[in-house]
Amino acid sequence: MTITKTFDTEEIQKRFPKKYIVLTIVSLLTLTLIEIWASNTVVAYGEKYEKLFAMERNLKMENQLLENEIAKNASLNIISSKSAELGFYSNQSIQYIR
Amino acid sequence: MRIFWIKIFFLFFFFTLYARLFYWQVIRAEYLQAQAEGQHFTDIIKVGALRGNIFFADGSILASIVPFFSLFGQPRLIAEDQKLSTGYLLAKILVDDTDQVDSLAKDFINKISQDLDWVSLKRGISYEKRKQIDSLNLAGIGFEQGSGRFYPEGSSSAHILGFVGGDNKGYFGLEGFYDGELKGVSGTLRHEKDAFGLPILIGNFFNSNAKNGKDLVLNIDRSVQFIVEQNIKAGLEKYGAKAGSVVVMDPSTGAILALASFPNYDPQKYFNFPKEYYKNPLVADQYEPGSTFKVLVMSAVLNEDLVKPDTVCDKCFGPISIGGFLIRTWNGKYYPDTTLKDVIIHSDNTGMVFVGQRLGLDKFYSYLENYGFGQPTKIDLQDESAPDIKPKNEWREIDLATASFGQGIAVTPIQMVRAVSAIANGGNLMEPHIVRLIRDDSGTFEIKPKIIRQVIKNSTAQTIKEMMVAAVDLGEAKFAKPKGFKIAGKTGTAQIPVAGHYDPDKTIASFVGFAPADNPKFVMLVQYDQPSSSVYGSETAAPTFFEIAKQLFAYYKIAPTE
Repeated sequence: MTITKTFDTEEIQKRFPKKYIVLTIVSLLTLTLIEIWASNTVVAYGEKYEKLFAMERNLKMENQLLENEIAKNASLNIISSKSAELGFYSNQSIQYIR
Repeated sequence: MRIFWIKIFFLFFFFTLYARLFYWQVIRAEYLQAQAEGQHFTDIIKVGALRGNIFFADGSILASIVPFFSLFGQPRLIAEDQKLSTGYLLAKILVDDTDQVDSLAKDFINKISQDLDWVSLKRGISYEKRKQIDSLNLAGIGFEQGSGRFYPEGSSSAHILGFVGGDNKGYFGLEGFYDGELKGVSGTLRHEKDAFGLPILIGNFFNSNAKNGKDLVLNIDRSVQFIVEQNIKAGLEKYGAKAGSVVVMDPSTGAILALASFPNYDPQKYFNFPKEYYKNPLVADQYEPGSTFKVLVMSAVLNEDLVKPDTVCDKCFGPISIGGFLIRTWNGKYYPDTTLKDVIIHSDNTGMVFVGQRLGLDKFYSYLENYGFGQPTKIDLQDESAPDIKPKNEWREIDLATASFGQGIAVTPIQMVRAVSAIANGGNLMEPHIVRLIRDDSGTFEIKPKIIRQVIKNSTAQTIKEMMVAAVDLGEAKFAKPKGFKIAGKTGTAQIPVAGHYDPDKTIASFVGFAPADNPKFVMLVQYDQPSSSVYGSETAAPTFFEIAKQLFAYYKIAPTE
C-alpha cells in the first residue's frame, strides 16, 4: 500500500482576503459615484467658465489700455509741453564746476 | 392564409426598417456625423496673435497694440418697433457732435432695417464706447474685436517704425523688416458645447495656442531722438529747406541712437500722407556727399603713406583743367603751397584733386569698396537701398578728380555716417543696427555689435581726426561750435545734378562729425535738402549739428575739456 501525503500549496494558503475584495469594490463604487457627481456638477460650470474667460480677456485689454495711457502721458512730447506750461525751460548757460 | 399575410407584413416592415437604417447609417453617415459634430462642437474660433511691441532703449513704449471694435447688427433679431430707438441710442454714444447724431442714427436705422442676417455698422470703436453700448443690452447688436497700433509718441520715429497696413502686415522701417518676428502665429479654439452653446468643461477641447509676436528693444535713445527731432524741425523752418535729416550713431558699436527725417508722416494715419513720405531718406535716398567725402579720400591717401598732413599741394594755385573741365574751389580762393591739413580746413577742391591723383584710381576704388559704398549697410530697416558705383573700367580722369571732393558719386546718408564712424572708432567699419534685443516668452536674442572690417589703421584715424578737429576750429563753421568741446567734423555743400548739369542754387547742405573727438560718444550727420536761407552746409547743417551736440553733451554729462 502506498501512502500519498498531499500538501497545500503556498498560493492557496495566502488567498486574497475577502474583506479586501469587498473594500475594493466599495471604493470603486464610491469613486464612480464621486465622478458622476463631479461630472454633473462641473458640466454646469460652462457659463461660469465663459464668464471667467471673458473677464480675463477684458482685464488683459484694460491693462493694455492703461499701459498705453501711461505711455502716452509719459511721452516726451507731453512732458515737454506740460513742463513749458509750468514755466520750465532748458538751461542756456551750463556752469561746469571743476 | 391570414398567417401568410401577417408574415409578409412583418417581413416588409422589417425590410423597410432595415432599408431606412441602412440609409441613415451608411449612405448619410458622413453628413449626419458632420451635423452632429456641428451641434456638439463650437465653430473653430481663430485666436489672433498680438503683434509684438517696440520699445526704446530705456524700455518705454514706442509702438504697442490697442484693441478696437467693429459694431455690427443682426436685423432679424431686432424687433421692428425697437429699430428706431436702437439707431438713436447707438448714435448718441458714438458721436460727440450732437449735430451729427441724426444723420448717423438714420444711417444705422437704414442698415438694420435691411432684410439681411448681418450688417456692419461702424468700425474703429474704442473699448470705452463699447462698454457703454454693452450696458444698454440691445438685442441684435454685437461687436467684433480687432487690434491696431498705438504710438504714445505720435508721429515721432515714423521713419524708423514704418507702419502696419490694413492687411495687418508691416511696411517700411522696422515693421517691414521684422514683420515675421512681430506678427506672431494665430491659434484656434474649438470645444464641446452644451445645449446653450456653453463649453462643457469635462468635454474635449481642441486648442492650438496663439503665439504672440516678439517684442523689439531698440538702440534708439528716446531723449536723443527727441532732441534730434526738435532741432531738425526748427532747422527746417529756420533755413527754409525742402527736407532735413539727422542720424546719430554710436561709433564703437554701430548702434543707431537716433534717426529722424522731415517731412514725415503719422504711422497711425499713414493713408492721409503722400506715399513719397513713407520711405526713409536716410537709408533709401542717394545724394552726392560733397565735401564731407573729402575726409574719407584723405584718410585713404594717408593710410597708404602716399602723403603726410604737411605735404604741400603743388597744384593748388588756381583752377585745374582736366579733360576739358575746369575745377575750381567753392569760394574762388586759392592757396598756393597749401598743406593737406589746410586742404581739409579750407575744403579745397583743387587740393583734393591733387590727393586723388596721388592715390590713383585702383586704390581709390578699393577704399570705396572697403568703406562699404556700393553695398547696403545691412541696417535693419526695410527700405534700404545702395546706389551702384560704376565699374572701374568706366572711370575717366575727371571722374576720379570730382569724386575726390565728393561730386559725381552717389551714397546714402547711412553709408556716409558709417564710413565716418570708422574714423571715429580707430578704423573699424561697423554694421549699423536699430534693434538691440528681440525677445519673447521663450527668451531674448541680443544683436551684438559687428565689425565688418578694418578700413584704415588706428594711427591714420587719429591723424584724420586731428584734421577734422582743425576743420571745425578754423573752418567756415567755427562761429557755431560750442566752446570748450573738442569736435571733429566736416561741412559739405553738394550741388544737385539737374538734367545733366549742376544747379548752383540747389544744394544738399550737410555736416558730418563726432564728439568728443578724443573719445567719441556719437557720430552725427545733419543734412538739409535745398536750404533757401543759405546754400552752404557751414551756415545751415553745421549750426544744427552743433546745437544738437551741445544738448547731447548735457544729456550725456560730458564736460568741456578746453
